[in-house]
Amino acid sequence: MDVIKIIGIGFITLIITIVLKEYKKEYYIYAVLIGGAIILFYSLGTIKEIIDFVNEISNNNNYNNEFIKLLLKLTGISVLIEYAVSICKDAGEISIANKIDLGGKIILISMSIPVISVTLEALVKLLP
Amino acid sequence: MNIDLLLKIAGIGILVAVLHQILTRAGRDDQAMMTTLAGMIIVLTVVVKEISTLFETVRTVFNL
Repeated sequence: MDVIKIIGIGFITLIITIVLKEYKKEYYIYAVLIGGAIILFYSLGTIKEIIDFVNEISNNNNYNNEFIKLLLKLTGISVLIEYAVSICKDAGEISIANKIDLGGKIILISMSIPVISVTLEALVKLLP
Repeated sequence: MNIDLLLKIAGIGILVAVLHQILTRAGRDDQAMMTTLAGMIIVLTVVVKEISTLFETVRTVFNL
């Protein structure tokens, strides 16, 4: 049922965007923004269940869950970045999309530095 | 955060387009510009509110 709702909203947004592009060029971006926001909002519900499941697993067998938390943070950031980049590309502004992409990548790298350092230490220990 | 928001924005967009046409035909170009700007600001406030709720939800879901 959820899939039909998401596809329906997508098509409605598509039709409204085409109509608005015809009459008023500035307004179709608002329709795209709101349509994307609604679809993302619905899919966030299922994402929340997945995240609860992952947290529950990582808490049970006390896996080092600070990496799991960091992983969730990174996925959250990439979801937002992807949302912004695709809308900028849709509006035809490729350069803005690339700037957002660049900024997002820099943030992702800066957040994953602790993981890199821990893996490097583990690697060094492995070597003879 | 449901579908009627999208229809509201479409309605405002088309209304402003029609008003713009009428006002330009009537020779009042400056008022036509004013209505377009006013419509854009109204839609902008609605959209910004929705996007902020979306980002807030994403933040709480991924506990960023």
